[in-house]
Amino acid sequence: MKKFKWSLLLALLFVVIGLAACGDDETGSSTDDTENTSDNGDDTSAEETEQEEVNLRVVTTMAGTDPAGEVFQQVLDDFQEENPNIKIENDSQSADAGTIRTKVNTDFSSDNEPDLMFYFNTVDADGLIEEGKVVNLEEAEGVDLSGYNSMLEQQRREDGNIYAAPQSGFYEGLFINKKLFEEHGVELPTTWEQYEAAIEKFAETDIVPIAASTEDSYYVVEHYILAAGGMENYSAALADKNEAWAEGLNNIKKHADMGAFTPDAATIDLALAQELFKQEQAAMIFEGSWFWGQLEEAGMGEDVTVLPMPVYAEGGETGELVGGASQGWFISTKAYEDEAKKDAVVSLFNYLTSEETIIKIAEATGQPPAKGELSDLADYLKAGHDLVKNAPAVALPINDRIYPESFTHMRTSVPEIVSGDKQGEEVLEKAVEMAK
Amino acid sequence: MKGDKLYIFLFLTPAFAVTGIFLYYPFVENILQSFYKTDGFFNSTFVGLENYVRLLNDEIARGALFNSLELMLYVTIFQVGIALILAIMVNSITKGAGFFRTTFFFPIVISGAAIGLLFTLIYNYRNGLLNEMLVNLGFERVLWLTEQSSLYMVAIPTIWNYVGFYFVILLTAIQKIPNDFYEAAQLEGITGMQKMFKLTIPLIVSDLKTCIVLAITGTLKIFELVYIITKGGPANSSEVLGTYMYQKAFQDSAMGYGATLAVLIVVLGLTLAFVTNKLLQRDEVTY
Repeated sequence: MKKFKWSLLLALLFVVIGLAACGDDETGSSTDDTENTSDNGDDTSAEETEQEEVNLRVVTTMAGTDPAGEVFQQVLDDFQEENPNIKIENDSQSADAGTIRTKVNTDFSSDNEPDLMFYFNTVDADGLIEEGKVVNLEEAEGVDLSGYNSMLEQQRREDGNIYAAPQSGFYEGLFINKKLFEEHGVELPTTWEQYEAAIEKFAETDIVPIAASTEDSYYVVEHYILAAGGMENYSAALADKNEAWAEGLNNIKKHADMGAFTPDAATIDLALAQELFKQEQAAMIFEGSWFWGQLEEAGMGEDVTVLPMPVYAEGGETGELVGGASQGWFISTKAYEDEAKKDAVVSLFNYLTSEETIIKIAEATGQPPAKGELSDLADYLKAGHDLVKNAPAVALPINDRIYPESFTHMRTSVPEIVSGDKQGEEVLEKAVEMAK
Repeated sequence: MKGDKLYIFLFLTPAFAVTGIFLYYPFVENILQSFYKTDGFFNSTFVGLENYVRLLNDEIARGALFNSLELMLYVTIFQVGIALILAIMVNSITKGAGFFRTTFFFPIVISGAAIGLLFTLIYNYRNGLLNEMLVNLGFERVLWLTEQSSLYMVAIPTIWNYVGFYFVILLTAIQKIPNDFYEAAQLEGITGMQKMFKLTIPLIVSDLKTCIVLAITGTLKIFELVYIITKGGPANSSEVLGTYMYQKAFQDSAMGYGATLAVLIVVLGLTLAFVTNKLLQRDEVTY
């Protein structure tokens, strides 16, 4: 027994020594790297065949179920093949559940920022920009911003600078199962009246009119506000306490009372709502253009079409869309100011934002690209792209521009609005108060 | 003696360092954050006691507190109660005890997230197990998760998840009781019920006390089951302190207020553990 204990202690000792040795090795190698770097940097006159090795870390949301993940990795592999001295660590993480926000914020605040990242250029990036953690792309040497469509201009912040270069845009809308509409003899909802008629007709059947979660009611809230107010009121600031916002929220109750949602809408989440639609148990769903990927996987792309939310507000126009490009490529200031990394990071940035790469990634997702156009699109995808092209106005989702707590309050209050415990006006009042 | 002190110091240092770095330092940092309006990263403004004032006036936080306490009551009564009954029953059988021990302990090894998902699918309105059964039997579908029922519905898997843990503790305690006690009582003509109330329970009371303290303090940590099954809804009806804190700190980026809620959870946990200990204090039974 005693012998066993001693051997255990000895084994532990070896593990500790091993770990310590590994630590030294790493420090050693990084010192070597730095030495090599400075050597190479100083010795510019000598025509060295060996280029200095640069390690870059890239954080994106192209991971998990994102169909762009695989293509993105391929793009990185191609770049590394062309530039054997650049090693890229792909530290991408799915955008689901907002954990990417925590990751990026933690990385930046702990001096461990990624060199390049594809992140939300919304209220989420405010802190990074204010702290000067990311580069103003228009002033960055070597950065090529040519060839972009209007999506680039959408990235301009209040201070007049552009910090993020878009990859592709998105749109949100009313996804409709055409097959179910035909089977039940219901007209496609291109006006508010037709929309309400469709709800009424489907409510009489076993089909749920709208697959939605009233707790996770991001898209429902946005579209009902757009319908009630048109783009002008939709784009109003939260502090304005715009009447159309309250009216939109109250309309959700009106439609819930008509049987628009499944009885458990308050406890299902977005994924379960999507399942209802994909299992053809629901006729409509408010979703974004990224939803096409799931529909194609479910083999129902051909049966579905996307329509803009019917707007009934005076001054508004049906066709106005929630969408835009809310994500873009950021270069961290730390990487840009590091002479050893600067050229590599700019070169990778230009490669990733080249028309060829943008199209390659957009082909995987079916999203409207920020440069060039997609060819050979399926009809249903093209219809979506046409929606964007013909939209009289496009604006970003409300939650991308208002204080997060305020929007959470609005969306999580929808079940209480539906049950009649709260009114749209008081919910809005509280949301404004929270943002102060 | 001097040498002993050196050893004590040497051996305790790693533990102190680890708890200091990973427990006390974050906790102190958390208390500091509760005095700021901050997203935890770049935007930080000192607001003094504003978060605490907000906490006092926050209806949802109050609801979450009462829900946590209500859940604590169900969990303590049913988790420990059912575990006790099962332990006594398993102890009294001669055949198949191993099978029951494994079966009752099994839920413990399943992660909370998996159990949450399981019950989400059981309660689901249109395609859930319960409603499918009802429909097949010719009944109407039932909305299992409502504002009135949601808390009970999350209490069920919470109780089921941990019964096995207390069951094992209590079964071990019961099996430690010397057989002489029962033999002597048998000679005095003790009945089954009397044996349970007058012999078994009094002899394992210190273990029961431990279980109750663990159940009470453990309830404050409940998060994943509620988060997965109801997300605290509908209309915050099943919101508990853990889910509300998560929502504020990580979804709404209101890290300062989230930290204030965390302070409340810790203070509440310590107070409850202290009070329970005091209330249940009695002489230890030795045999």
